[in-house]
This record gives sequence, C-alpha cells and structure tokens, in this order.
Amino acid sequence: MPIDRIFKDDANEEKGERARMASFVGAMAISDLVKSTLGPKGMDKILQSTGRGHSVTVTNDGATILKSLHIDNPAAKVLVDISKVQDDEVGDGTTSVVVLAGELLREAEKLVASKIHPMTIIAGYRMAAECARNALLKRVIDNKDNAEKFRQDLLKIAMTTLCSKILSQDKEHFAEMAVDAVFRLKGSTNLEAIQIIKKPGGSLKDSFLDEGFILDKKIGIGQPKRIENAKILVANTAMDTDKVKIYGARVRVDSMTKVAEIEGAEKEKMKDKVKKIIAHGINCFVNRQLIYNFPEELFADAGILAIEHADFEGIERLGLVTGGEIASTFDNPESVKLGHCKLIEEIMIGEDKLIHFSGCEMGQACSIVLRGASHHVLDEAERSLHDALCVLSQTVNDSRVLLGGGWPEMVMAKEVDELARKTAGKKSHAIEAFSRALVAIPTTIADNAGLDSAELVAQLRAEHHAEGCNAGIDVISGSVGDMEERGIYEAFKVKQAVLLSATEASEMILRVDEIITCAPRRREDRM
Amino acid sequence: MAAVAASRPSKAESFVDNKRREDIRLANINSARAVADAVRTSLGPKGMDKMISTASGEVIITNDGATILNKMEVLQPAAKMLVELSKSQDSAAGDGTTTVVVIAGALLKECQTLLMSGIHPTVISDALHKACGKAIDILTAMAVPVELTDRDSLVKSASTSLNSKVVSQYSTLLAPLAVDAVLSVIDPEKPEIVDLRDIKIVKKLGGTVDDTHTVKGLVFDKKVSHAAGGPTRMENAKIAVIQFQISPPKTDIEQSIVVSDYTQMDRILKEERNYILGMIKKIKATGCNVLLIQKSILRDAVTDLSLHYLAKAKIMVIKDVERDEIEFVTKTLNCLPIANIEHFRAEKLGHADLVEEASLGDGKILKITGIKDMGRTTSVLVRGSNQLVLDEAERSLHDALCVVRCLVSKRFLIAGGGAPEIELSRQLGAWAKVLHGMEGYCVKSFAEALEVIPYTLAENAGLNPIAIVTELRNKHAQGEINAGINVRKGQITNILEENVVQPLLVSTSAITLATECVRMILKIDDIVTVR
Repeated sequence: MPIDRIFKDDANEEKGERARMASFVGAMAISDLVKSTLGPKGMDKILQSTGRGHSVTVTNDGATILKSLHIDNPAAKVLVDISKVQDDEVGDGTTSVVVLAGELLREAEKLVASKIHPMTIIAGYRMAAECARNALLKRVIDNKDNAEKFRQDLLKIAMTTLCSKILSQDKEHFAEMAVDAVFRLKGSTNLEAIQIIKKPGGSLKDSFLDEGFILDKKIGIGQPKRIENAKILVANTAMDTDKVKIYGARVRVDSMTKVAEIEGAEKEKMKDKVKKIIAHGINCFVNRQLIYNFPEELFADAGILAIEHADFEGIERLGLVTGGEIASTFDNPESVKLGHCKLIEEIMIGEDKLIHFSGCEMGQACSIVLRGASHHVLDEAERSLHDALCVLSQTVNDSRVLLGGGWPEMVMAKEVDELARKTAGKKSHAIEAFSRALVAIPTTIADNAGLDSAELVAQLRAEHHAEGCNAGIDVISGSVGDMEERGIYEAFKVKQAVLLSATEASEMILRVDEIITCAPRRREDRM
Repeated sequence: MAAVAASRPSKAESFVDNKRREDIRLANINSARAVADAVRTSLGPKGMDKMISTASGEVIITNDGATILNKMEVLQPAAKMLVELSKSQDSAAGDGTTTVVVIAGALLKECQTLLMSGIHPTVISDALHKACGKAIDILTAMAVPVELTDRDSLVKSASTSLNSKVVSQYSTLLAPLAVDAVLSVIDPEKPEIVDLRDIKIVKKLGGTVDDTHTVKGLVFDKKVSHAAGGPTRMENAKIAVIQFQISPPKTDIEQSIVVSDYTQMDRILKEERNYILGMIKKIKATGCNVLLIQKSILRDAVTDLSLHYLAKAKIMVIKDVERDEIEFVTKTLNCLPIANIEHFRAEKLGHADLVEEASLGDGKILKITGIKDMGRTTSVLVRGSNQLVLDEAERSLHDALCVVRCLVSKRFLIAGGGAPEIELSRQLGAWAKVLHGMEGYCVKSFAEALEVIPYTLAENAGLNPIAIVTELRNKHAQGEINAGINVRKGQITNILEENVVQPLLVSTSAITLATECVRMILKIDDIVTVR
C-alpha cells in the first residue's frame, strides 16, 4: 500500500541510486571548481559579491572561495565544511583536501557502477588510508633537535606554501618574515600576537616585520610625539562625560548661574577623572572610546600621550603585548596593571602616520606591515601570509616534515598499490581506486601548470619504484626532479590532515542512500 | 556584462569544462580593454577631456584618468580592477593615472594574442614579471639625478604634468607654485617624506586661474562673524584656537530652568550676560584679539549676545572651524588648542602680523599672514571662473604637487614625450632575442605593448602615428635615447632639451602596477558569484 504525505508539501525525498548520484555530482562539481587553483601554477578566481557594493575579491585560497559560495547541494556542503575545518586546524591544504575527496568520490562512483557495495568501498578506503598514513610516517624527516636545520626546514615549508600564492615572486622575503614571526611566538600557536597591518602603496617587496606593536591611530594635538620608557594605561572608559544612566534624568534649576555651576561641576568631574588617571604615574593613555577636547587638553598639559578611539582589537592586543590590563575604573591605582614599553614614537608608512610601540614587555609580539599595489593584492597577501603562519606555528609543535611536489602522494600510492595486491576480495578494488585518487593530485598540479601530466606522472611512478627516491614534479622547470635538492618541503601535519579528513568526508558521502530535503520555512506574507 | 551573466555557474548540476575558462579569461581581457580604450584619448598634452554626468546630475569635466575611471561606475570585475589600478597609481605617484591604464590595456591586448597561440597564462605571467624587472632597470639607467636645489628641473617636471590638463596655459604659473609649496613643507630632519596634508588647497569661485597664488600663512574660506559689527582686520594679532563655546552654559545632563515670575526672568537675562561677559573678560585679559572657534554640534558656537560683547572688546571671531582642521591650524599658527576657559593662557596663543578679511568676487575669505614661528605648512588659494574649471584646476594642481613629491622621495628625472617607452621597447626587444623559449616570445610582446604610449600620444595630437613611431624607433636605434615626440611642434626632437621631463617614480610605478594588474587578470580563470 503506498503511503502518501509523510512529508510536508514542499519537502522532497531522493532515494538510492538517485540520491547517491546527486551527492557525487555535487561533490565533484565543487572539487572541479577549486581544482584549477591547486599548485604553484594554479589560477585565481574572482569572487563577485551580489551583495551591496558588488565588491570583488581575487583569491587563490580554497577555503576563501568555498566559504563564500552559495551551495544548495548537501554533499557539496560537506566538502566545504572539511575545507573549513582544514583551515582552522592547520591553515593550509584547503584546496588539496577538497580535490582529494572529490577524486575519491569519482573513483567510488565507478566502483558503485560496477556493483560493489558502498560499505565494501568504505572498508577498502579505510584500510588504504591507514596504510598510506603509515607509509608517510615511515618517511618523515624530523629535525627537532637540530635548531639550525629545523629553521631551514621551516623556511622551506613557508616557501612551498607561499609559492602557490600571490607572494610567490618574493617568497624568500616573506618566508623569512613568517619564520621570524613564528619563532618569536616561542611555540604558542596564538597568532593573535602577530599583527598584520595593510597599507596600500609601494610594492610587496617593501613589506617588513617590525619587532614591536603598531597602532593605526593618531596622537592627540599638542602632546609629546615620542616617549621613552613608557608606562601605558590601557582603558575602556567614557572620556566625554559620565552621564547619569537613568533615562529622562534632568535637572531643574531656576537661574543661569546654577546651570553654569552644573556645567562647571561636570567639567570638574572630568578633571578629577583625568587626575585619577594621571595619578597612576603613566605617560601614555590609550582609550577605546573617544577622548574629548577637554580631557585631551588636560592630558597634553600633563605631558601625557593620549590615544583616543583605539578599536577593540587594537587595545586588546596592546594590553596583551605590553602586559597591561584593560581598566575602566581608576580609583585604585595599585590594583591596575600598567603596560610597559621602551619607546613610543610616531612613524610614517606610506602616507599615513602610525604609532609605534617598541621594546614591549612581551617579546612575542610583532607586527607585519604589508605593502602592495591595491586592496585586492593586500587582502590576498594577508590570506597567503596567514596560511604560511598557521602552517609554521603548527610545524613548530609537530616538527615532522615531508617532501612536497606530489612526492607524498606517490609514496602513499605505491604502498597502497602493494596493499591492494596483498588483499583478497572485492576490497582490493577499492584500495586500488584509492591509490588512483592519490595520483590525481600530482596530475592536477601538472595539468594546472600546462604540462603533460600523463607523461610526468608515468615518469614519477617509474622513479618511485626504486626504494627511497625523492622524486617529485618540479613545476618551475616542468620536469621530474629531486625534491630534497629543490628544497620543496611540506608539513606532515598538513598532509595527514588532508588524507584523513578527505577519506572521512568521502566515506560519509558514500554512506548516504537517501536525501530528504525539508520544506523551506515559509515567510509570512505581509503584503 | 552579458558574458558574465551567461557564465554564472549553477553549482549543483553543471560540470565545468575548460572551454568556459578560456571564455572567462577573454571576457575579462575584453572588458578591461574597453575601459582602457575609454580613457585612451585623454593621454598627453593634446589629449581630450571627458564630460561625466554623474547620477546626481552633477557634471564633471576632466582629463585626469583616475577621476574619469572613478566616476564611471563599472560593474565587470576585471574592469573594476583597472579602476583600482588607476587609483593605486594615484596614491603611489599621483600622476600618470591615464598612462598606467593605457599600458595595462596594451599589455592585455598582447596577452590575448599570446593566449590564442596556446601559451599557458602562468608562463606569460612569469615572463611579464621578468620583463617588468628588466624595464625598471633600463628606466633607472636612463634617469638623470636631480637635486632639490635645482628648482628649474622641478618646475619643468611639474609643468610637463600640467601641460596635459585643461589649465595648461597656466602651467607657467602653477608649476613654480607647486614646487614652492612642496619645498616649503619639507622637514629638514626627514627630507625624504612629504606629507601633502601639510598643503591646504582652498578653492574660491571667481576671478581666473591666473589669480591663483600661495599664501604664506593661513586661508579660510569663511567669513568673519560681524553680525555685531566686530573688527574684520586685525594687526599684530594674537590668535586663540578654542574648542569651547562662548554661549550660555549647557550641561551634558538635560536641564531646564524654571521661571516662576517676571523678576526672575530679568535676573536670568542678567546672569546670562554676566556669564558671557566673564568669559570674554578672561579672553581679553590674555591679550587675545582673534578667536578661531571649533564647530560644535551640541550648542551654538557664539550667540548674538556674545558676538556683541566680543565686538565691543575688539575681538575678531571666526566660527565653525572643523575639528579635522584643528591640527593643521594649530601646526601652522604654532599654538595650542584651548578646550576650556579656565585654561585660557597667553602662552597658548599664536601670533600673526595681520589677520584680515578680503573680498574675492562675491565671497569673502580670511587670510592670516605674517605668522610668527610658522609651522611647515602652506596654503594655496585656487581661483577659477566657474566651478568646473575650479575643480579641474584643483585636481591638476594636486597632480603637480604629487609630481614634485615624487621627485623629493626619489630624486631622479626621466624624459617625457614617449621617449622612455620607445627606448624600453627597443632594449627589451633586443633582450628578448637572447632569451630562451616562450619567455623570449612573451618579452617581445611586452616590448611591443609599450609602444602604445608614443602611438597614442601621436594619435591624440593629430599626427600620423605610424610615421611618428617608426621614425622614433629609427632615432632610438641610432642611439638618441632622449628622442621623443614634441607634440607642440608635431615632430621628433630631443625631448630633454624641450624641457619635457617627468619623475622616474611615475614611470616606474606605472609599469610595475600595470604589469601586476595584468598578471592578476591573466591568472583568473573563473568568476564565482558569492553572497
């Protein structure tokens, strides 16, 4: 007996073959979309916003592209999610993970078509992934004990990450910068302490790392422009008036003098507040809110540098790097922790004046000032640099590294192939398919560079037949080369995350045999 | 736009093939080229102007590439990037905003041919980067160093910039003016940096551009408040910049005065008078005789009553000075702003020989001259017979100021009139021959693209572009590296002798920015519509 109307009107249900097909197609469309951005010669995308302003972003970063897509297909959403997770976890490899998952699904589709049960495929994939991971573990390089070598490793990783981005032309410069910045963090992965300031003008080469903190604000009029041994009070307090916070409060007076008196009293109150602040023994006062003319003048008279309207992030960072606490009451000078730094001065970057705090208490902080031709370039440069910083900070904790340029994929593919030969039963088809999916990554890299991928990958496979080979695709010269010599390195953590999350995602999508789309929530018609 | 709309991918079902990618790249290149073509005719001293009628009905006539593009409101993303490019050139060098777009357009045209012949975009992009680096080296080698003391050279380069504008006939006046303005704000401690914010340009309708002049001091486009017959001219002025108001008190908390009978009202009026009088007495006591009052949204800066008393006390009042201007004003006057009557002290005042209100046409302006210990600032008063000319004059002057600023930060001059571009094209063409593979091919195209500048210059001047460019090539091949198009004479001469020079920074930044932008456009293979 057919059952009618289990679901609401607009809801629909897709079953079995159809459902699986929809997921495959959706996931593959997504992976094809970002595929062309993979590798050092990957292309960029324009993201055109349909929102107000029609703003345009040009990017090469997989996570950024996927994050901003409109997606209706549930399987595609899973891929977008794993890319997001990859971005949060390790910061790089956001494109690789989606491409690998897409390839795994493409292979799975063929297997399903040849009547292999999805669960068998999943079991095969699991075994293959485990085997691939072990293969990588066997070949990792760990230079944790050798500080000099470790630094070199980091530099190479940074360069490998950056070479697929807009910064590729100046990758040495930026790699040095990123490594220096990460070393200052001393093992913490708190990238908050690295501040990236973007200033249009100049070229990317003019970007620099500054061992201090830079605040994009102005110093008040008539106040000292340079302070040594600064004691800084970071505050979030109203410096206009302390209003009575009762709605509709008002005073009634019967003469003009009284009004003047009240005004005087208000001024006096402000003056007291300023006095209290000054009594902390500070010579620099940074406030999140506006400082009006009157208190500004008082500060100027006392020779204190007052900075108004520092944004929230700005003061939090400033508090962090100078070791001060954000204060909002000033009655107990003893309990407020002041920030310290050696020197505050006004510097000029491009056409703008900024305030520079150097010699901060917490040595971890630093600022990276990015210069570039336009906002598009700067935004993309910031994203690229952020990727590099993420990877580096992860690598500092987990110092295992691998070679790059398609090398890890080939190593994994080889081991997985061997496993397929040893495994009995239908699973071996799935394992073989896994290895084909892995090889798709070097293939894509070569394709994007306009090289003959079939030729190169075949050559690579032959090279890898020998034990302990370091061959990978050198995109710049367009040939197979020794990755160790070329200095192309990747972090183990990134590769592992790519492998595991791509496998998991494809497993999840494979398991699906029914898609139920709920009825969209109706909007009330308020015509 | 049709191409973009048609190419909008539907994420769920479609399969992306490479055919579409080529289409998008071509669509991008075509729309960017369309933008470049739109501004092409405004290049050079005989370039034409554009009239832009904005959405609000306002009409702008300009020759400045950045301004034209800014007002064009393009939608296509690649075309937008060209607009951004012109903006970047504006902020980096201030001049050459048309040049940069024209070069980018020509480069894109060449790239299109290269793409057609099947060269991979990244290969082209890398070759462009290389060629660009080489081009900068060649330009630097061609450049002539200039000293800031060499005023003549500075004036020459400023007038080259001005020659292509509407106000070109005034270039003899505006060029020295721009040079002097910039030189006067250079801080000897930091001679590399010029902050153009230290130069204030005041526009006033009326007169002609000829009447434009610098003022050693301050100019306000404001009237003196003389409702109560206060003084409009003050010698030996002691000037106070105040950030409080001379009006009846107002508290931050809401207040109301309750009046219950007639006598009370009288008393209140008297009190108000006393209150204001007290303030003015304090001001008078310091010897201050000119007041600049910051604009306040909370209460009236002055009332009729206070104006009356100020006039009696022979104090000149200028009200509604913007808060942003306070820093400039205090820097110029070498004084401190005063935020409260209690802090009104003589040492915070600025001194000037003369403060006077001058009538210009139907408007009035205020001039403060002979300032004691004046800060490093300059004011320029720009005049023009109508609003359009006035605006264009200001833009042109800004360009000229930028040119001089470029020379201060990078002290090299280079010939104008298409000479550097032709020389670049020749040298790069020769270099391309020694390169291997695709690179050589791409560099050759880069070299050819650069010829667009002399070509367009000649075309805009009504000369025969092909004849001119070939002759120019010939001259350069014979080693006359400074041969360029003399648009006025309509022939090729040594352009350095004709005093057509421009800062090196303008040329280098035009080439680097254009290349960077073209490379970015080349690398794009898809337009994705997002939220």
